[in-house]
Amino acid sequence: MTSDDSVDKEATIDSGGTKWGVRLAITTNNLMDYYGVAILILLWEVAPRLGWIDSQFFPPLSSIYGEGCKLWADGTLTVHIAVSLKRTFLGLLCALVLAIPSGFVLGGWFPRLTRFLTPLLNLLGQINAFSLFPLFVLFFGIGELAKFSIIFWSCLWPILFTTIAGVQGVEPLFVKLARSMGGSRSLLLVKVLIPGALPTIFTGIRIGATIAFLMLIAAEMIGAGSGLGWLVHNSSVNYIIPRLYLAALIIALLGMILNYSIHRLEALLIPWKTS
Amino acid sequence: MARAEDSPVRIDTEAKILVKGITSVYHLKKNRTEQAREFIALKDINLEVRKGEFLVLVGPSGCGKSTLLDILAGLAVPTSGAVYIDGKIVTGPALDRGIVLQGYALFPWRTVRRNVEFGLEIKKVPKRDRTAISDHFINLVGLDGSAHRYPHELSGGMKQRVAIARALAYDPEVLLMDEPFAAVDAQTRENLQDELLRIWEATGKTIIFVTHSIEEAVFLGDRVAVLTPNPGTLREIVNIDLPRPRHNSDTRGSAEFGWIRRKIWELLQNSPSDVKRSLDKLKLQNASPDAKHHLNLLPVADIISPTASL
Repeated sequence: MTSDDSVDKEATIDSGGTKWGVRLAITTNNLMDYYGVAILILLWEVAPRLGWIDSQFFPPLSSIYGEGCKLWADGTLTVHIAVSLKRTFLGLLCALVLAIPSGFVLGGWFPRLTRFLTPLLNLLGQINAFSLFPLFVLFFGIGELAKFSIIFWSCLWPILFTTIAGVQGVEPLFVKLARSMGGSRSLLLVKVLIPGALPTIFTGIRIGATIAFLMLIAAEMIGAGSGLGWLVHNSSVNYIIPRLYLAALIIALLGMILNYSIHRLEALLIPWKTS
Repeated sequence: MARAEDSPVRIDTEAKILVKGITSVYHLKKNRTEQAREFIALKDINLEVRKGEFLVLVGPSGCGKSTLLDILAGLAVPTSGAVYIDGKIVTGPALDRGIVLQGYALFPWRTVRRNVEFGLEIKKVPKRDRTAISDHFINLVGLDGSAHRYPHELSGGMKQRVAIARALAYDPEVLLMDEPFAAVDAQTRENLQDELLRIWEATGKTIIFVTHSIEEAVFLGDRVAVLTPNPGTLREIVNIDLPRPRHNSDTRGSAEFGWIRRKIWELLQNSPSDVKRSLDKLKLQNASPDAKHHLNLLPVADIISPTASL
């Protein structure tokens, strides 16, 4: 921003003609990030209409938008988004509640047990939650619990691993210093271990949430009666192509928003983190 | 734990800090099958520190000076011997001793102010009093205006000032400093030394300061305890009677400063066994009873030097 301003000042010194040229250059520079998206949108709209590509498989963006308005108007779109988000957050929340305390207990209090358990935990963490989905359905039925389990499983391991790593990675000097002041164990936990491990834990939360959202969509495509994944599946079965694109776009947007929100939350909770 | 059984809990002493027969032995294992080897970090250290004194422990790495400081802080337990503060045995860390470490150990998630207030929070000082106290100590170390900043925004010298303010804020009577200025550049280091003396004179704390820099030791200390390694033993305590207040410009340039620095340097150069060997050799050459007395007057380096005129 500041560099742009300085360019602007220089421009005013110049004669009127070049001033507009510089303005244009600045605007172009600022819009650089969006050109790619703009061209894509334009092509998407124009190409099917001019018959460059088959509009049956590639409906123009306006018809996808129209489909979106229709679904929004009758309220179904909101329901699907809400259902998918609710499943994600519920699973994520439960994983947080279980993984963070157990990570602290394992990493902070039982280092030997942690070493003993690490290979096992690694193995469990490597199991793709999606491959367990049939089992979850078998155990918990086709209802909400199976979908919840897949999210829970996907979030649990990254958060647990990063919590253990975060606790064990807390600078020993911090612990030494807090101990030298005669601080109790609970004080050490609250004032040193938790803030010290928080940045690492957040990495796990971000990874977990991203994977979980992807897994959820896949799970909804297999066994659900609502949700964005179901919307994709249902549209493809019923051959409503614009709706399929609509669902895919909304999933992409939600994924971006989810990631961005976690970033914002991280910046809010960890103001000391250097960029 | 054995310490509490064989040492009295309380003894009568004038000294602020009394170190009595401290020995610290580690058991080292290179691998799992090997039998543990004993490593004597400290061997029978005896030391008395007066109230308000500035004592410097100097020695090469591996002489156990940091171990001794950890024992004084109550963070490590000696194999035998005990430390008394005001005649009361030290059984663990407490707020009567403040500690400043080489690595600063500032909490990155706390601002300067909140770092300084850390000990006060442990001491359960009410919030409104904390602000006044932290303000006072932030000013004392010359960081006014930086209270809201985070450690990553500060230079090394500023970080160490915060660490000193933090150690002083909860008003300990003793300040333990473990090579606090080892990580900053030479210029900052001399400034910090000046500042530390000023703060010490202003607060009247008893300071035990560990360093491997002879120059730093002589400039700061009332007395300098010279430690030698393998095993860590207290070689000698050198009185530094340079006039106070000391300043970088005139103190360091004085002839006396240079002389004391050289004396400590020599003490560190020669391990006791070297000196004994050369003394034995000399005894063979010159069996007169005065010889030993005469030799004590000579600088140690001259005794063992093959070219020294005898």
